[in-house]
Amino acid sequence: MKRLNKGKECFFALLFLLLTAVMINFVSDVLRPAQTMYGATWSSFRAEPEDSLDVIYLGSSFAYCDFNPSVVYDVSGLTGYVMAGSEQPLSITYWYLEEIFRTQSPSAVVLEGTSLYFKEYQNYTQQNVSQMPFSVNKLGAIFTASEENLRTGLLFDLSLYHSRWKEVGKSDLKKAIRPVEANHYKGFTPIDQVLDGVGETPFVHDRTVSEEDYASNLEWLGKILALCRAHGAQPIVTFNPSYTRCTPEAYARNKADILALDAGTLVYDWSDGFEEMGLIPTEHLYDGGHLNKDGAAIFSAWLGRFLTDEVGLVPRTQTEENAAAWAKSAAWWRAENQK
Amino acid sequence: MTFLSLPFLCFFPVTALGYFLLPRKARNLWLLLASWFFYLCAKPVYLTLLLFVILTSYGAGMALGRKKRRWVLALCLLTDVVLLFLFKYVNFALSMVGEVLHGMGMVWNVPVLDIVLPVGISFYLFQAMGYVIDVWRGKAEAQRNFLLHALFLSFFPQVVSGPIGRAGELTPQFRQPHPFDWDKFREGLVRFLWGAFKKMVLADRLAVLVNTIFAAPETFGAVQVMGAAVAFSLQIYCDFSSYTDMALGMAHSMGFTLRENFDTPYFSRSIAEFWRRWHMSLSSWFRDYLYIPLGGSRRGTARKYLNVLIVFAVSGLWHGAAMTFVVWGLLNGLYQVMGAVTAPLRDGGYRLLHIREDGPFRHGVQVLVTFLLATVAWVFFKASSLSNALAVLGGMLHGPLWVRQSMGLDRWELLAAAAGLLLLLLVDLLSKRYNLWKTYLQQPRLVRWCILWVLLFGCLIFGSYGAGYDAQDFMYGFSF
Repeated sequence: MKRLNKGKECFFALLFLLLTAVMINFVSDVLRPAQTMYGATWSSFRAEPEDSLDVIYLGSSFAYCDFNPSVVYDVSGLTGYVMAGSEQPLSITYWYLEEIFRTQSPSAVVLEGTSLYFKEYQNYTQQNVSQMPFSVNKLGAIFTASEENLRTGLLFDLSLYHSRWKEVGKSDLKKAIRPVEANHYKGFTPIDQVLDGVGETPFVHDRTVSEEDYASNLEWLGKILALCRAHGAQPIVTFNPSYTRCTPEAYARNKADILALDAGTLVYDWSDGFEEMGLIPTEHLYDGGHLNKDGAAIFSAWLGRFLTDEVGLVPRTQTEENAAAWAKSAAWWRAENQK
Repeated sequence: MTFLSLPFLCFFPVTALGYFLLPRKARNLWLLLASWFFYLCAKPVYLTLLLFVILTSYGAGMALGRKKRRWVLALCLLTDVVLLFLFKYVNFALSMVGEVLHGMGMVWNVPVLDIVLPVGISFYLFQAMGYVIDVWRGKAEAQRNFLLHALFLSFFPQVVSGPIGRAGELTPQFRQPHPFDWDKFREGLVRFLWGAFKKMVLADRLAVLVNTIFAAPETFGAVQVMGAAVAFSLQIYCDFSSYTDMALGMAHSMGFTLRENFDTPYFSRSIAEFWRRWHMSLSSWFRDYLYIPLGGSRRGTARKYLNVLIVFAVSGLWHGAAMTFVVWGLLNGLYQVMGAVTAPLRDGGYRLLHIREDGPFRHGVQVLVTFLLATVAWVFFKASSLSNALAVLGGMLHGPLWVRQSMGLDRWELLAAAAGLLLLLLVDLLSKRYNLWKTYLQQPRLVRWCILWVLLFGCLIFGSYGAGYDAQDFMYGFSF
């Protein structure tokens, strides 16, 4: 091959590789299922204006079913977003928080603490990690918080979702082309139902977790708390109202362990706080563990007041446009919660 | 580490890059070490067997090169046959003995020995035997260079599933310099990709339907069972030819030319022609090292037919240690004998009907009949037992035409398979008129890129891989 052609061929080979990479990325975006509820709602989170969120809510389904940020905003003016994931271990939560701090500077991070009882790997790693935007933090989540057999798929998630070609519709193409807009849910998942027999008697029984997993969870929690401190966010760990809960002694042990990691962390055991918050177990629980939409509305309103009155959080100044968007969101939820 | 696994997709670029960057003297050693590493990844313990075969065939070749002693040839061939028997056929032979004793009224609990078949044993042993016979016949030089001989038997693109190479063709290539050739590299790459497409989009998709129906043929309608048999004919072609395409593509991208293994076999007009175009490296091996030594067609018609039957029975056994494979082989031999016996009759019939010998109608009928005969034989190849094969064949003739139940593939999957098969047909038709890989290079850049993208995204989107897929091993891969 002539010298002149070598350069030309190299250029076109690189161009081909580049175009192929762009196309693979686009196809992956089309085929990756849209995650608008049940946690890991990264695309709508990224549509929030930078540095606009006062509070970040983390954890598992106990976070995305219980915290409704729009209701919190309605009573307190505190903007927020739930960035939780189904059965999400604290290792993944840590990488979530690292990624969140790239675009947001919340005053407080509220972590629902039931994840202290999770195993190293739970059931939804694929869903929780694959939705993260590609970054060093996603790589961190893949290599330190995901099962080994999932890692290749998470690195190249087209391999996980390519079989969706049969169900691809216009909305999938649209989501890959147009930027996602912020929505009223803010990571919250409303469940408008009460399962039969729920809320009659609390099931108080300590969750089982091996000492090894618990120690590992505490280690990751320590990293989360340190990360909060490094970014000037007040860490708050809560155990939300639930009829599937541990004994007060277990929560006391958790509290002591958390405070041993960071004495300035605010730890609240609200697992038995139904009456104080105005929650009626037979009406406001979905199943034994999670609040339903109405329960979340009551709890979130109470939480909003608590965060401003007791914790002393102060809403930051929002742009006119963003304030209007939050007001619209709050009004939408007011109407929804009255249905 | 199969060709379509992530480790291999890392292994190959590293191996190829090392090959081109290293000084010429170190290249063959690098290829040999890479090939052994590749083989080690499949099953470490059996590298010793490969090494033993390399050593014995090297020693026999050297000895025969000095003086043609019949006992050396016999000993080497016997060693290879015994090895093949021990690793592949001993359980089958024991079960046959058990059956015979049972038939004679004697009771013997047949032991089942826990023997794992060494990967690629049928291929590299045949290659080694071919080499020793060629040296004996004076058709190949005795290889003095151990490195080259070891590489001839271990070369990673072909060690697991062929094509079964000949020393006279392959070994000299290791002596030649192979500077990086951009055209060869691209030809090889597109051929590899085409192989991946056939495997991932077609073979593994059809496998789902075939496995579902063959597992319980009695629960499906006749049309579905026939469809499954046809699907298996296409599946095995896509599966094995895909491996060949990938092997040849990889070798070509490094400058090596391996034997072609397929020449659009389903366009054949007779079973005899089919076997000249299907698994050509094995067919020619049997022709050169078994059929001709048996006398070929030189000892009269009856002996020729017997030789054909012997060769195909052995070929069946080569494919697997089970009666289903023997029947499959014999059936193919019988087809050829019957084809030869009835040829004058059929020719007369066509003449009577004024159908031209080379006319499209006769051509079409012959291709169709050949495909159907091959398909019936493939039923025995695929079936888990003779009774399963008979159940499948019976299912084509009895019962309802169609039973509404899942065949393992939904209509979208069937549509994808149909579209892929149409593309396969188009490519096979084009391959009869053009050298596909050279023609590819002659296309404008944008057309070449579009071809690569169609194949790549075909694999990535419609291929069977990743979570939720039970990736199938290559049929001729790890069980031969």
